[in-house]
Amino acid sequence: MQKVIETLLIGLTTGSIYALMSLAIVLVWRSTRVINFAQAGQAMFATYIGFEISSRSEVFWLGLLFAVVGGALLGAGVDYFFMRVLFKHANSGPAAVVAPVIATLGLLGLIRSIVGLSWGGEFKTIKSPVSTDGYTLGSTTIPFSALNAVIIITVSIILIALAILFQRTNLGLALRASAYAPEIAKLAGIRTAQTRTIGWAIAGGVGGVAGMLVTANNFLSPYSLDLLLVFGFIAAVIGGLESMVGAVIGALVLGIGLTIILNYVGTSLVFIGGFVVLIVVLLVKPDGIMAKGKVRRA
Amino acid sequence: MELWRKARFAVRKKIAFFILLGWALLIIGDRVDELRVYQGAQIAMYTIALASIVLLTGYSGQVSLGNGAMMAVGGYSAALTLNNLQTPIWFAFLMAILVSALFGSLLGAAAARLAGPYLAGTTLALAVGLPAIANQFSFLGGEPGLLFDVGFPPESFGEEFTQYKWFFWISGVIALIALFITSNILQSRFGRTWRAIRGNSLAAELAGIHSARMKVLAFTISSALAGLAGAVLAMNISLVAPGAYSLALSFALVTGAVLAGVSSLPGVVLGGLILVAIPEIADALAGSLGSADKFNNYLPGLISSVLLILSVIYTPNGPGENLRKHLGKKHA
Amino acid sequence: MIGKTRRKRTWFVAAVLATGSLLATALPANAETGVTSSEIKLGITLPLTGAASPGYNKIGNAMNAYFKYVNDNGGVYGRKINLIQKNDEYSPQLAIAKTNELILKDKVFALVGPLGTATYTAVHKSVGIARRGVPSLFLNTGFSGFANKKSFPTSFTILPSYAMEAKIAAQFLKENFAGKKLGLVYQNDEFGIDALGAFKAAGVKFDVSIPYTSGTQSSATAQTWVSQLAAGGAQVVVFFGVTSATAALLGVAAAAKYAPQWVLGSVGSDPLILRALGVPVAVLNGALTLAGNPSPNDTTDEYVKQFQEINTKYNPGVAFDDYVLQGMNVGLMTVQALRAAGQNLTRKKLISAMETKGSTFASVAYSPLGYSKTSNVGHTGYYMAVMDATGDRKPFGGSVVLYTTDSGSGPVVKATPKRPAMPAKGLPSNS
Repeated sequence: MQKVIETLLIGLTTGSIYALMSLAIVLVWRSTRVINFAQAGQAMFATYIGFEISSRSEVFWLGLLFAVVGGALLGAGVDYFFMRVLFKHANSGPAAVVAPVIATLGLLGLIRSIVGLSWGGEFKTIKSPVSTDGYTLGSTTIPFSALNAVIIITVSIILIALAILFQRTNLGLALRASAYAPEIAKLAGIRTAQTRTIGWAIAGGVGGVAGMLVTANNFLSPYSLDLLLVFGFIAAVIGGLESMVGAVIGALVLGIGLTIILNYVGTSLVFIGGFVVLIVVLLVKPDGIMAKGKVRRA
Repeated sequence: MELWRKARFAVRKKIAFFILLGWALLIIGDRVDELRVYQGAQIAMYTIALASIVLLTGYSGQVSLGNGAMMAVGGYSAALTLNNLQTPIWFAFLMAILVSALFGSLLGAAAARLAGPYLAGTTLALAVGLPAIANQFSFLGGEPGLLFDVGFPPESFGEEFTQYKWFFWISGVIALIALFITSNILQSRFGRTWRAIRGNSLAAELAGIHSARMKVLAFTISSALAGLAGAVLAMNISLVAPGAYSLALSFALVTGAVLAGVSSLPGVVLGGLILVAIPEIADALAGSLGSADKFNNYLPGLISSVLLILSVIYTPNGPGENLRKHLGKKHA
Repeated sequence: MIGKTRRKRTWFVAAVLATGSLLATALPANAETGVTSSEIKLGITLPLTGAASPGYNKIGNAMNAYFKYVNDNGGVYGRKINLIQKNDEYSPQLAIAKTNELILKDKVFALVGPLGTATYTAVHKSVGIARRGVPSLFLNTGFSGFANKKSFPTSFTILPSYAMEAKIAAQFLKENFAGKKLGLVYQNDEFGIDALGAFKAAGVKFDVSIPYTSGTQSSATAQTWVSQLAAGGAQVVVFFGVTSATAALLGVAAAAKYAPQWVLGSVGSDPLILRALGVPVAVLNGALTLAGNPSPNDTTDEYVKQFQEINTKYNPGVAFDDYVLQGMNVGLMTVQALRAAGQNLTRKKLISAMETKGSTFASVAYSPLGYSKTSNVGHTGYYMAVMDATGDRKPFGGSVVLYTTDSGSGPVVKATPKRPAMPAKGLPSNS
């Protein structure tokens, strides 16, 4: 029984971090119709900035703030300088389908190389803001610590904030309109290109939070967020790529599923487990869990 | 009747071309030092792997990031066959082709309903997950992997004939044969059908093409090629290990394919050359900059990322397309 | 259509031939690869970055620092040593690629201190070290399989094997912890399995035995280890893994308030690096570890003192720890080996010098060296040390009690340590 509760709690924690990443991916997908593989790269860059600030100031939350800002700026920059150029040039031939995917892969490699060349590949650590000791109930200590709780709370706050943004504000309306029906949105006076950049900025900032949270008390290296990339992406696909709620649900499902595999099956099968979960979901619902009937695809 | 004679003539010309190419490689192999010969073997390996991407992505339009995983299937099949059954080398390579074709057909069947980002994501998950399986089952050798020993060149070749040259010969011959067969497949009605599906799946269906079946076929053949490349890689480094078939390899293959023209089969040679040349160039750059090797491992990544981005933006269909546009020739 | 294809194809063949002729290089006539009248080129592959790199990535620079010191003082018979470091990230196929570069491109004279069991196994086979006759000195790994002179004729180990280490640990466990519940965590490749076999042969039974895959160490996986160890009630936990895994295990155990008696293998136990990786000093206090060298803080030891001086001058800004000590020691032994091979330096002579004179070399480690015509094994023993509240390492029981043994079924023998004196100013003058 204890193991079940442990598994659930840890699954929730990891799932909530994946939720941030999958949200970012869905955000970009909906606004640009591009799967941004570089999302994790942007998050990694933002986390390194956060590392610099937090190790100098000894305050984790300050580092987190800078990571969010850095991530947002980078996200906006990528959209403005990179994506627009890309769409202008690569829009014909068999590669038009492939081009954006490949381009973001290239961008991921580029960010990684720059980070590696600037900071070196050695492991860095970011100290967690709260204790990482597990809570003790009676005689047993469960592997759920204050940090885990902080992660869940932080993610929940962000999700609520984003929900309010999207449902209750003009900006949110503009974002949704630009993504779903760009032509009509333009007719309604919305500056879709700018709105899209804002969407990328939000995605980048959210990614920065994910990176900082997952790295707290863990090792940071140019490759440490690769897992986040893969799992964030799988979570987004499971959720259906079209809905933010789906992204979150998909992430939680994935997080819990993977932790079950980790605890009950074996550590090496976690990755292929992710693949299996993905394939199973897609076979049953090729457009993801939240897809309702015919949904717009690429 | 005319068409028949013409077609046979074209095939004969192609065979002559490949034989000429093989002869040229033979001469080159004798003239260069061992490092270049070894790199030649790696280039041959890459050409086969890139051919698999050209077929799958360039022709049938399915973006897969998991060719590295298929290479792993091929490499491990070959190693397990060779080590446990003590068969001749060619049989091990044959097993690599068959097993990865099988896996490919399964993957293709599952993936036939997926498109675009869903397919890319699924194959990405496979690329990350499959090599890690080696750590779960001890007969797969875990992280250190399994040794793959194809043996030494025949004594009659003399003492100067190094093992790396032997690898060059074997991988070169395999690559030539594989490219020949692939070229024929791509120029046949299969190739045309795939291009039709890639262009407009709905229109193709209306024209009577069974798109799902053709997509699975594309996956199967592409995986067979990737598996063969994986076995050749295993031979070249005398090892199969999860690290040799990492996600980085899948990314590198996509990079090479796009750089050289994702729908151009002759481009795979250029792509292979580029993939082997990038670490060399990075090394030379690092040497002149004098930085510690801990930074050097990021230079190849930097160069290939920059090249990839530039080529996707400016020559998304490969340098061949721009050359054609420039020379004003119509693409038939 | 055919005409166009023909033109494309001809262009193609021409391009291939052109590239080929550009690549053609005449094979250079050479005295001995990697040796000129002014320089000796040596190569090393090690993890400068990646999961296994913490600590080990200092070894190359430490060796280099020592070589620079020797170069500034006349070199080896007037030749300067040039060490080329290549980062293999502890990955076998990357090690193969980098070693190919070292041997085929950089054309080094010999390999010194290549690191890792899986990496070197792959490299030896794939690159053909023995076939090419490349000397490979002072392998930075303890896998007992390398002690086979027939299979590895040009390779020489320096560290005692993990099998030896496990036998000694087993002896110590039997003498001091009989009746306690034992736990074992080990890296499940040749590294750990070597040790596992030796424990079994020595009759030590572990109540909890946990293998982990190299590269998967993290706080998440360490969580599962600690859960299993705690559930099994292990009171003494033996650990055979790299430093980053040690850190993960100890860190998680501290957070879970699980505090058994730790017995750490020699590989991943440097206290400075562990603390840099976030392990609290309180956890290290009282941990036992097998060691072959004196503590790097022991300035009463003539080797340590001399190496520290060289480190301050030639490796500035780098804290002197176990890894730096190890690196400099390998440097010291390499220079002695190069000198013993004579002025007319060839690969064959270097190997022969190791076989005939290697056992007399000066080295910081306490145990005797076993090099001979039939054995390529270096050091053969360890002593048990305990870490104190400052994270420093002191001999268990106050003074060094050396255990020596072999990788096979030979007995574990207690002996008094006896080392050759450190050469004057740290500069060998042997021949």
